[in-house]
Amino acid sequence: MATVYVNDRAVDIGDERLNCVQAAQRAGVTIPHYCWHAALSVVASCRMCLVEVGERKVDEKGEVSTVMQPKVVPGCQTPVKDGTVIRTSDAKSKDAQQRTLESLLLNHPLDCPVCDKAGECLLQDYSFQFGKAESRMVDEKRTPPNKPDIGPHVNLFTDRCIMCSRCVRFTREVSGTAELHIVNRGTHAEIDVFEGHPLDNKLSLNVVDLCPVGALASKDFLYTQRVWNLKSANAVCGGCSTGCSVHVDSNKDIVYRLRPRFNPRAQGHFMCDAGRLGYHHVNDPARLRQYLVRGENGTRAVDWAEAAGICREKLGAAASRDPGRVWFVFSPSMTVEEAWLLANYARQLSPFVKLAMGAIVVEGADDTFPKDRKGRPAPQVKFTIRAEKAANVRGVRGVLAHFQKERLDYQQFLQAARGGQVDACLISQGQSPAIYKPGVEEGDALAGVAFVAVQELFASPLTDRAHVVVPASAFSEVDGTWVNHAGLAQAKRASCAPWRGTRTDGQFYLELLGRKGLVHAGNLRREVAKAIPGFKPLEAADLGEYGVFCEKLKDLA
Amino acid sequence: MSHHHGTREVSPHAAHVPPGPLPADIREQIVALLPRYPSKQAVTLPALHLAQDRLRCVPPWAVREIADILDLSPAEVHDTLSFYGFFRPASDPLGKKRLWICRSLACALRGADQILDQAAHKLGVEVGGTTADGAITLELAECLGACEGAPACMVDDEHIHHIDQDGKMDRLVEDLRKG
Amino acid sequence: MAAFEPVLLRRLNRPECKNLEGYRADGGYRTLERALKEMSPDQVTTVVKDSGLRGRGGAGFPTGLKWTFLPKGHPGPIYLCVNCDESEPCTFNNRYLIECDPHQVLEGIILASYAIRATTAYFYVRYEYGSGTRTMQRAIDELYAAGMLGKNILGSEYSLDVVVHRGAAAYICGEETGLIESLEGKRAWPRIKPPFPAIEGAFRKPTIVNNPETLANVVNIVERGGEWFKSLGVPPDPKNPRDAGSYGSKLYCISGHVNKPGIVELPMGVTLRELLEVHGGGVWKGRKAKGAIPGGNSMGFCTEAEFDIPLDFNGPGKVGCLGLGTAAVTVFDETTSIVDVLHNLCRFFAHESCGQCTPCREGTAWMLKIVERIKRGQGRLEDLAILEEVADKIGIMPGTTICGLADGAGWPVKTAIRKFRDEFKTYLREGPGKGPSAGMRLQMAGGH
Repeated sequence: MATVYVNDRAVDIGDERLNCVQAAQRAGVTIPHYCWHAALSVVASCRMCLVEVGERKVDEKGEVSTVMQPKVVPGCQTPVKDGTVIRTSDAKSKDAQQRTLESLLLNHPLDCPVCDKAGECLLQDYSFQFGKAESRMVDEKRTPPNKPDIGPHVNLFTDRCIMCSRCVRFTREVSGTAELHIVNRGTHAEIDVFEGHPLDNKLSLNVVDLCPVGALASKDFLYTQRVWNLKSANAVCGGCSTGCSVHVDSNKDIVYRLRPRFNPRAQGHFMCDAGRLGYHHVNDPARLRQYLVRGENGTRAVDWAEAAGICREKLGAAASRDPGRVWFVFSPSMTVEEAWLLANYARQLSPFVKLAMGAIVVEGADDTFPKDRKGRPAPQVKFTIRAEKAANVRGVRGVLAHFQKERLDYQQFLQAARGGQVDACLISQGQSPAIYKPGVEEGDALAGVAFVAVQELFASPLTDRAHVVVPASAFSEVDGTWVNHAGLAQAKRASCAPWRGTRTDGQFYLELLGRKGLVHAGNLRREVAKAIPGFKPLEAADLGEYGVFCEKLKDLA
Repeated sequence: MSHHHGTREVSPHAAHVPPGPLPADIREQIVALLPRYPSKQAVTLPALHLAQDRLRCVPPWAVREIADILDLSPAEVHDTLSFYGFFRPASDPLGKKRLWICRSLACALRGADQILDQAAHKLGVEVGGTTADGAITLELAECLGACEGAPACMVDDEHIHHIDQDGKMDRLVEDLRKG
Repeated sequence: MAAFEPVLLRRLNRPECKNLEGYRADGGYRTLERALKEMSPDQVTTVVKDSGLRGRGGAGFPTGLKWTFLPKGHPGPIYLCVNCDESEPCTFNNRYLIECDPHQVLEGIILASYAIRATTAYFYVRYEYGSGTRTMQRAIDELYAAGMLGKNILGSEYSLDVVVHRGAAAYICGEETGLIESLEGKRAWPRIKPPFPAIEGAFRKPTIVNNPETLANVVNIVERGGEWFKSLGVPPDPKNPRDAGSYGSKLYCISGHVNKPGIVELPMGVTLRELLEVHGGGVWKGRKAKGAIPGGNSMGFCTEAEFDIPLDFNGPGKVGCLGLGTAAVTVFDETTSIVDVLHNLCRFFAHESCGQCTPCREGTAWMLKIVERIKRGQGRLEDLAILEEVADKIGIMPGTTICGLADGAGWPVKTAIRKFRDEFKTYLREGPGKGPSAGMRLQMAGGH
């Protein structure tokens, strides 16, 4: 067990191998840094993390002495061991910190009023905490031209760059695509791409997160919101079964961006562009906002309670006549709690009602990164975009398997519908249209079904056939649990309230079940954990920021 | 040492830059260097020299071809290329001969800054530019290591000492123009 | 006083020794032969270590000691990188060695490679030494043809390849890890240390980087013995236990406002004054000296009053210079403006800064901007304070940068201001003055 002393505070770092920046973090002390990142090689070039380091010795008489090194050292390249002493705010460190910040600001444009990064900018933050209030620079600053087309998703404000090289290292070490490089040398050095080879890889937007300042910007987010107006929810990306942990940033129920959230149990530090940009459908004005009932007299809008009531009536009646001809289709983007509630309702009707998994989109094969320079996957994998473009296949299957031995998939449902073997169905289809759009033939398959209830985000061939259309919840509106490819169950928090007059899917299912009260994900987790052995780890209710592994669910692909 | 900050206009000599691919003998020479190093990337600098010596610049297609031979991305090759300020883009290729005039201390103490200005004036170019006839590119150099012969200059990679001697610069320019 | 008989430069005026036959006829390669036959690699290292030879590239690190840092029993490959980048302004001693006595350098390369068990020696040579490069390549080709490079050198068990690798005009390629990065095909951004090259160097393998003059010394030391080497130069200061002495002879370069610029080989410890007066022919045009740099741009300035320092590893430090550096002395006369001289050096370092780390990238550019503004007549007294402070705080000595370029950039600034403060203050008040400034012109801002 190793003890490190940070500003005279002892912290036990166990047997972890840490550098000074990490050891200080454990002690709750920030050593400012730019170029160091846990997922990238160490270059120690920004010099922001210069601190004093020494060793604490106890002699045979028990006398403690501390011997500090004469020069400041970069904390990011200096490993700590038992007895290491770190001083981050004594005179030498302070002086080094002030000078580094003064140096960085010599050529940095005074762009804060127009820069996206304001409010989450490490140059701002560290200048405020560690810098000096005034600059001594009276000479002209460099003003290299900006590069708005450095990539299809990324904009480069060249003059803001502090040359930390994180972005370059990312494209060489994590994506492997190596599009970013540095041109020229000295004070003329700039980030650039080679002509004809823009920053265009599936992980490109991560460089915007990595950039400590506002040099690299996301075109998607540019000039849309001031970050201090955003509220941030811990959530999970539903783009594929990697299940990257994310922050969903929203303001007044509008989602403005997703950012990856570090999770060593899930994906690490990053996320892919498709997942990151896969939120636009949430704000799309074309989203279904009303509960619709379709009859011989046309379509009318109803309130949610009436819609639920009609569903209960029709599904109940069909189930009592012939339960084997009543189907429930579960979207692979449903949370565990939603699946639990809906399955409970289905079983409430009858043990013979059929439970089927909805459409699972699989695109190609798992895409691993980094690539080698010829574009082939390199042997040491740092990030995977999975072929299974669904958020919670294992979670939903885990619930379905508990209630029904036979495994039924979407094709089997469609076949039954086409074959005239379905009297009534409720289809939960809330997947992002970027991933899955129901086709005309699916709608046609429902032609002969007497009662169709469809939960959908957007109008589709399925809703065209529906007798009851229920507006589905987007991922940003739901508190719940998703289980990824490795069986990691993560809690995702809602950012936005559902549209005025609508209820979340879970709330709708509670209503079907006739249960009172509001959906509470934690309580539902405990219920599920109690009932289904595979979900036992969910009994903690609070799954922590990293989630919990449900080993038994892993292989339910 | 000129860095292409994008401030220089396209030179009229750019029209003479050949299109790709690399001449077969240049490509062969690059490939022949691979066994001398444990990594392919190490052949970058020698390859850039081979390309520029022949083409008088390193056009983008050459960067791509070198990258392909060395299993690098074009950006990685260009990263190295642009660090040195030695290699020219296709928009501003070198003339037949490159005249470097040293401006470091020993030479500056013996009038190098004036000599550089005078040379620019005489050749009718800015520092870094190429004469209209494509014969001479004028560059400034940092210490050439010819200090005992200050003020010194270099033609391609051969030193010439005492360039301030009467008429020596004029004669040199004449010789270079004759090619 | 008997003139010193050159050792390193003994073949300076004997061009017949540039080829293998002539070199061998002069006794060359007998030392190599004997070493390969009669000495183990470790024995060669011991001889070099015991001789007290310190690196001639500028850092003065004990050569044999550096060789012992290689990991024992390493399966290889191990590399020798010969640092012939020699870009420190005013320095040209390696140029003389490779142009005039290539085989002496090569014999040193092979001996050193044998001692460190290197499998390949990369001869990294600056682009601007075209003539020297071609001379070395011819000599290397001769050796391969004669079975003295490649497999089983001179019939021994030892094999070595020497590869010539040309630079592309960047000063930072003379920094040992900058050289390694450049060799590996990347931009020459020096590496953080640790790991040091002896542990993880070129291509991530154990590597020793040595200067050509150092390697030439190796031949003569193995031939004549460490005792001989120690009979030349300056022994350690008995009051300083960390002083490793300044043994052997050194190639001194003289340039600037002197009557006889050139190169001379002398036992270490000659004073700057003696070098100037006796070997450099004194200050030109009958003038007096104002000051000099004792060892290339990076060492800072000496005033004329300080010319009596010995040019050994300790001397220049006694008057506040960074060290001996490359032992390249450049003198400027009394009519020279120190502001012009400083401007020239600031311009150099800003141009050559690799740009990797904040203090040097921003600091060298800032110092240049300030000096340029002073030259334009818009300098302020506080600019001197800013310059001194910035210069003091950038570098590996305060620990703020990755490599020593920043120290080299700062030393001229602070020594110029501290030793010529009155001249600076006058310049701030009155501008460049009426006298000619020895051919150095005002440069326009941003002229690089």
